[in-house]
Amino acid sequence: MRIVALIALSAVPLLVAAGPYDIALFATPKAPSAHGSARLVYAASPFGVAVTADGRAQYDIQVTAAELPEASSLGAFKAYVAWAATPDLSTWVRLGTIRNGTSIVGHVDLNKFLLVITAEADSAPPRHAGPTVLHGTSPSGWLQSFLNHPMFRGITG
Amino acid sequence: MRRLVLAAAALALGMAPRLANAQQQEKKKPPVSMDDMAGMHHDSAHISMPIPMPAGMPMIPGLVGLTPSVTEFLPGNGTDPGKLPAARPTRIVQLRNRDTLDLTAGLVRRTVNGRTFVMYAFNGEVPGPLIRVPQNATITVRFHNRIDLESTVHWHGVRLDNRNDGVPGLTQVAVTPGGDFVYTVHFPDAGIYWYHPHVREDVEQALGLFGNIIVDAPETDYYSPANSEHTLVLDDLLVNGDTLIPFGKEGPDFALMGRVGNVLLVNGESGYTLRARRGEVVRFFLTNVSNSRTWNVSFGGAPIKVIASDVSRFEREERVASVVLAPAERYVVEVKFDRPGRYALVNSIQAINHYRGEFEPQADTLGVVTVTNEPARPDYSRQFATLRAHPAVSKEIERYRPYFDKPPDKQLTLTVRTTGLPLATVQFMTIDTAYFAPVEWVDGMPDMNWLSTDKQVRWILRDDATGKENMDIDWHVARGSVVKLRIFNDPMSFHPMQHPIHLHGQRMLVVSRDGVPMRNLSWKDTALIPVGSTVDLLIDASNPGDWMLHCHIAEHLGAGMMMAVHVDGARAGDQR
Repeated sequence: MRIVALIALSAVPLLVAAGPYDIALFATPKAPSAHGSARLVYAASPFGVAVTADGRAQYDIQVTAAELPEASSLGAFKAYVAWAATPDLSTWVRLGTIRNGTSIVGHVDLNKFLLVITAEADSAPPRHAGPTVLHGTSPSGWLQSFLNHPMFRGITG
Repeated sequence: MRRLVLAAAALALGMAPRLANAQQQEKKKPPVSMDDMAGMHHDSAHISMPIPMPAGMPMIPGLVGLTPSVTEFLPGNGTDPGKLPAARPTRIVQLRNRDTLDLTAGLVRRTVNGRTFVMYAFNGEVPGPLIRVPQNATITVRFHNRIDLESTVHWHGVRLDNRNDGVPGLTQVAVTPGGDFVYTVHFPDAGIYWYHPHVREDVEQALGLFGNIIVDAPETDYYSPANSEHTLVLDDLLVNGDTLIPFGKEGPDFALMGRVGNVLLVNGESGYTLRARRGEVVRFFLTNVSNSRTWNVSFGGAPIKVIASDVSRFEREERVASVVLAPAERYVVEVKFDRPGRYALVNSIQAINHYRGEFEPQADTLGVVTVTNEPARPDYSRQFATLRAHPAVSKEIERYRPYFDKPPDKQLTLTVRTTGLPLATVQFMTIDTAYFAPVEWVDGMPDMNWLSTDKQVRWILRDDATGKENMDIDWHVARGSVVKLRIFNDPMSFHPMQHPIHLHGQRMLVVSRDGVPMRNLSWKDTALIPVGSTVDLLIDASNPGDWMLHCHIAEHLGAGMMMAVHVDGARAGDQR
């Protein structure tokens, strides 16, 4: 029974996380036909991987989007802007504008983050203000917590 | 049966004082350090746990009481350490062309953090003698094996004559205890290299058999001027209280991700110290000799320029915030210490707490550079502020640029096959690998790792063209050919992990990662392949012979992850 549960649990994230660098983007009711994905690409570095001085991975992001409607069709908006936000939404980093097709935006060095595409009145807004049309979670967001897992029940760290 | 009582490891492993730097202080969550890992569980529920676990990470219940299926091995067979010579710091051995060096692998008494162990050393020194030779010199090394295991010496990164490469079963017969072997070593390339055994690296290298070689170029301006030069040999040691965690006699334990130590060492000791003057430019030669750990080293916020890597300088010098070294990699950097005070040499990484599903910043102070108020003379500020280009490097690479975009000649997939692992390990890994960290900087689950041996874990290099694996792969390439090798590190395996892939006797360029061309190249002999990545390497197959290609995580090598590349004697295009 436990094994079945484990397999079921493991299968869920694999449906949306193909690898350590892929992000599936999901539509919102604002643009229900839109879809897309993103890929994390290590930033340029003379080393085997690009990291900050405290060891956080540094990525450029390739966003591929399709069936995004004209931004103006959603209101007084002119552009779609990609943001990286920490899971608690306390920090937002503007990555750049995107359009249908593949856009390379960057630069992210957050351990876990949400990738959010919003419609905005400006291509370089100081903060996100418009409606969200696509969103996804960094692969690291699928890191499992075993805090309350049956395997560890009764065990304290 | 292994039953190691978890003693007061926190005291035993009291590491160098942690220095706060501004960057660490800014973080909301204070970094933990190996201090926290070394001595955490003192309650009776964990008393039988032989492996130090990371802070806050309980042992998986299904693994409690299990031990690896190997006979434990520690060097010296119970020898009283007091009867052995104490290990000494490394000494520089300046050699000229045709000089001879006697290099003896032997037992020593080594004290780390106040605890004394029986370990190994070359010529009684840890690291072994720092060999300094002029470029194009040829030296003779008379190797004497006086340890209790077979051994050899491999001259890592040196494009030398094949018969001197030190690989048992491929280029020589292993040297038995008490035996000797004579190596002739030619150094065609300037830079920083190292030597180590190629027999049971998981044991012999881990216990102290390693040393550096600096090959000096004839050009006086090969490097920019610096006030001083120092080698930093980065290593770690896995200790529990007064005891080294034993090794597997028949084969490696820690086969899943390699032995990751909980005591971090620079030049064989904890608490590295260096004195410098205000404004001093220091050239550091860094080498990662640890079995498995990838490092991310910085110098307390002092500016860093990266100059060179394994087999050459970069095309252009770059400013970097830290230096990332996978096992066996080397980097040459210059650091300027502008202000008087104390600069912490820190290894900073993002560990993963698998229990909480969180990243945890971890910073370990490896040592301190104390900078006095006395100004450095000469003043090399102007030279340090300049990022030099190295057109000689670019010009040589230019000959190979036409091959950058050709289809790969060879393709390897990196993966793993397991059998007979504990059920709890299998269950945990199944759910844990919903996310694959591209680089595992530290062993987050040492209990699972410890229990895995080469009997249960087979790490695999798979030839995509033939399906053959490891030593069954039989690649022949013509001398003088330029071989494009594409390596894919499969993220969907049972335990995906980064692999530092080392090719003996040749040099190679990392031309692209995940389809993105590299813009600033240096010649390499070891390339890090993160999980899920595809890396294209361009091999200058100029040195004939039978050469190993393998993962330089010692336990992965011990669990099969190796193959041979045969560079045939005739040059490409020659009539045969």
